[in-house]
Amino acid sequence: MPTVRSGRVTRVRQVFQRAMEVVVAALVAALALVVVLGVGFRQAGNALVWYDEVAAILLAWLTYYGAALVALSRGHIGVPMLVERLWGRARAVVVVVAEAAVIAFFLVLAWAGWQVQGALSGATLVSLPAVPAAIAQSVIPIGAMLFIVAQLLSLPEALRDDADDGAEGRNGVVGAGSHAGYGAP
Amino acid sequence: MTLALLAVLLLLVLINVPIAVALGLMTVVAILASGGFEALPNAGLLMFSGATKFPLIAIPLFILAGAIMNRSGISRRLVAFASAVFGFIRGGLSMVSISASMFFAEISGSAVADVAALGSILIPAMRKRGYSRSFAAAVTSSSATLAVIIPPSIPMILYGVMSGSSVVELFVAGIVPGVVGGVLMMFVAYLWARRNNLPMEEAFRIGRVWRTFREAGWSLLLPLIILGGIFSGWVTATEGAGLAVVAALVIGGLVYRELNLKGLREAMLECGHQTAVVMLLVAASALLGDFLTESRVPQQVAAAITAVTDSKLAILALLNLFLLVIGLFLHSAAAIILVVPIVMPLVQAMGIDPVHFGLIVTLNLGIGQQTPPVASVLVTACSVAKADIWKVTKANLWFIGVLLAILLLVTYVPAFSLSLVELFYR
Repeated sequence: MPTVRSGRVTRVRQVFQRAMEVVVAALVAALALVVVLGVGFRQAGNALVWYDEVAAILLAWLTYYGAALVALSRGHIGVPMLVERLWGRARAVVVVVAEAAVIAFFLVLAWAGWQVQGALSGATLVSLPAVPAAIAQSVIPIGAMLFIVAQLLSLPEALRDDADDGAEGRNGVVGAGSHAGYGAP
Repeated sequence: MTLALLAVLLLLVLINVPIAVALGLMTVVAILASGGFEALPNAGLLMFSGATKFPLIAIPLFILAGAIMNRSGISRRLVAFASAVFGFIRGGLSMVSISASMFFAEISGSAVADVAALGSILIPAMRKRGYSRSFAAAVTSSSATLAVIIPPSIPMILYGVMSGSSVVELFVAGIVPGVVGGVLMMFVAYLWARRNNLPMEEAFRIGRVWRTFREAGWSLLLPLIILGGIFSGWVTATEGAGLAVVAALVIGGLVYRELNLKGLREAMLECGHQTAVVMLLVAASALLGDFLTESRVPQQVAAAITAVTDSKLAILALLNLFLLVIGLFLHSAAAIILVVPIVMPLVQAMGIDPVHFGLIVTLNLGIGQQTPPVASVLVTACSVAKADIWKVTKANLWFIGVLLAILLLVTYVPAFSLSLVELFYR
């Protein structure tokens, strides 16, 4: 039953997803490009000093921006077997506790990352003295907040899924399926 | 204290908090308990530095190369070539599935990607030729798992970084067991085909082999060149993965001309998605690692076990059993990140070669991908085949048997995996 409110959530969710997809695809492209340039320049006898450090930072950025995108489809690896066997009030309580735990962790992480930002003033990257280290590490507070947004935006759908497969969940076995997303390698 | 924290972790995991988040929460509690509020910003530093491990860049790049190849018509060409080679044998399509899996593994390094790419072509083809749904799904699923020990391999990259051993040596150690396992699986498939009277495909014609080889040639040769570059030390594993991306773009975009912008976008998002899932676990494990080092849990585990027995064989058996049970319930990436830091001191104390143990871990967790309830590869194969997971598992027992046989060989005959490593690198 799509109400006016849930319609709005869906629209915000779509915009958020699209934006995150653009960011993640750009980071993937940048990471591949930096590594390939690194190999090319080294083979040409003119190694780029910043290549390892920048590539490693891009990996961290891909980790957290990607993690928020994955959270939107609830694709992180978990163990859903027990929750799938519960129903009714017990299940609702467990789902709410789990959501609260996830949000609490990322609130702590966002705060910790923000504290680090302050402590880093003046520090720069080792290989690129023009770039402040705070920019590289900004991914922690930003990524943590994005994760919380993704978690909240996907909450209505997660609750609805729970209601839908509650009946089969009791005797179903498969587990991992709906949570695998593209699947872990 | 340690036990209380582990109880918190278990509880969080059981209520379906993502494992990475559960690890992070547990460590935050531990930091608060030991260092107080002032120590908490460390969590931010650790979660950042934990995600910046250079060798792990190979993971997104190999995933990206595989995802691009997958959208470039390479699966179809590999199947055509394998079919020309093996189609004349009874039950030929199952041989095609096994051999194509092993070729495909040289690009993608991920068993789930392998099944999704090849299963969607081969499972319908097997159905058409009278193979049962369950057998078709079982053979595709198991051969994809076997292929994970053939380089490149994402679980091996992950193990290499977590244990501090050489990714290149791990890759080399997987070659012989992977090929022997493939041959054994083909033999099992042949026996099954004889018993169930499955059809042959077509007569063997050298002309057809040559024609399909030329069509598939680029996709067969380039991974070999890239792996050659890595094995010879010309490029690192990470740089080799970067070259694989370039190769995939050239083959898909310029040679086969089947890669379009939509495919490229999908491939990049698939890469971002899979990378984030694995890397968030890795980053959270940096927090865990700090806590483990301080609490000395791994050393205590090692001491407790070596107090009971100091037989290497018994401890290897114990580790195998432990990893198989873990594999029943956890995805392989999560299992590697949780288990490897805890058991490594034991492995070192017993004088087990870390590369040898890496292959044992990869195989055990690979078998775990075939055994419900949590079995990512099997679930993917079943959803492609629209088959019942338990019926497939029954047919799959044969192939799981092959995987177990390879596991026993690898475990108790170290030379089986280490000879090539010794020959080239030590």
